[in-house]
Amino acid sequence: MARDIVAGIFCCTGTFFFILGTTGLLRMPDLFTRLHPSTKCDTLGACSVIVGMAVHNGWSWDLLKLVFIACFLLLSSATCGHAIGRSALRRHIPYWKKKEVKEDGHGA
Amino acid sequence: MDEFLTAIALIIGLNAFICLYRAAVGPTTQDRVLGVNIVGTKTLVVVILVTYILAENYFLDVAIVYALLLFVVTVALSRYLEAEGWKEVP
Amino acid sequence: MNIGSRELTGGGAFRSKLLLFFLLLLFWIVLTASLALHELVMGAVCSAFVGALTVSLLGRALDPRITPSVLLRLPVFMVRLVWEIIKANIDVARIILNPRLPIDPRIVEYRTYLPGDLPRTVFSDSITLTPGTVTVELRGDLLNVHCLCPYHEEGLAGLEKLVAWLFQVKKPEVEENG
Repeated sequence: MARDIVAGIFCCTGTFFFILGTTGLLRMPDLFTRLHPSTKCDTLGACSVIVGMAVHNGWSWDLLKLVFIACFLLLSSATCGHAIGRSALRRHIPYWKKKEVKEDGHGA
Repeated sequence: MDEFLTAIALIIGLNAFICLYRAAVGPTTQDRVLGVNIVGTKTLVVVILVTYILAENYFLDVAIVYALLLFVVTVALSRYLEAEGWKEVP
Repeated sequence: MNIGSRELTGGGAFRSKLLLFFLLLLFWIVLTASLALHELVMGAVCSAFVGALTVSLLGRALDPRITPSVLLRLPVFMVRLVWEIIKANIDVARIILNPRLPIDPRIVEYRTYLPGDLPRTVFSDSITLTPGTVTVELRGDLLNVHCLCPYHEEGLAGLEKLVAWLFQVKKPEVEENG
């Protein structure tokens, strides 16, 4: 019973971070700022739900698979964000600046 | 516990639908790739939740393959968009 | 981009093959979820086959810097990284939920002293997962980092020190970051 409560808390935290990531994805003004909520909030949300499921599951072989998925997500979401950001930078997609001064994103 | 997990899966699925907005109208193609990546992450978590709602272990293998495919798709698309001479289709 | 310069011949190639074989076997065990003898034998055959085929592709990723002492320090590094990730999320959450959206994004250049591809990759992945910073380009020792707010840039040096501790890299005397 206590295990279910801990798992529920982890799941709720994960869902909260997912909602946060969605909000950030819709609110942010340009691609580079959208990368921030998507790489951070989604990773923590997914890992949190996975940890909750691992607690719910207990000791078995499935635990190993869940740990593998969590580690892979930590690596892959950062790499995906990097790849998308680099392709945007190389295509000179303009990035949003304060006071609405728009410039080309060459990066000096 | 099953009802709770179903509710969580529904909320995350709804989130994925909202993220689909960014994939559909994103001003640049990179925005669409990002939207697809995020929808994929949420789908992955829903698959993991469904594993425990239905108590079917083999869904976890589906989740592993989904995670690997998601990574490959995103990196391949970004590398493709990065190539010289590629033009945005209006 | 000079990862291909190290030739995979002689003892190095054998060591890479052996390491790759054990990694693939571990992945096989995770996938099959059993330790039965016939599964292990089948897995060993498949891992040896795939390892021999792909060692020239995947062997480059098996940097000789991965030593047992680095693997011993890895859990401590992971715990500290997860702590940083949680702090990063709370920070980003405060920014997103603020109705005025107080962001002042900019792209800064950061020159790292970490040598080799593996420490730099670990560093750039860690940057992406910590407060308000995303690595958008890694070229040699120069990183282009997109910062959400100007004060996020200050966290980079501490993170670099953490990665240097993981790989036991000494900071050179002549410092040229900025």
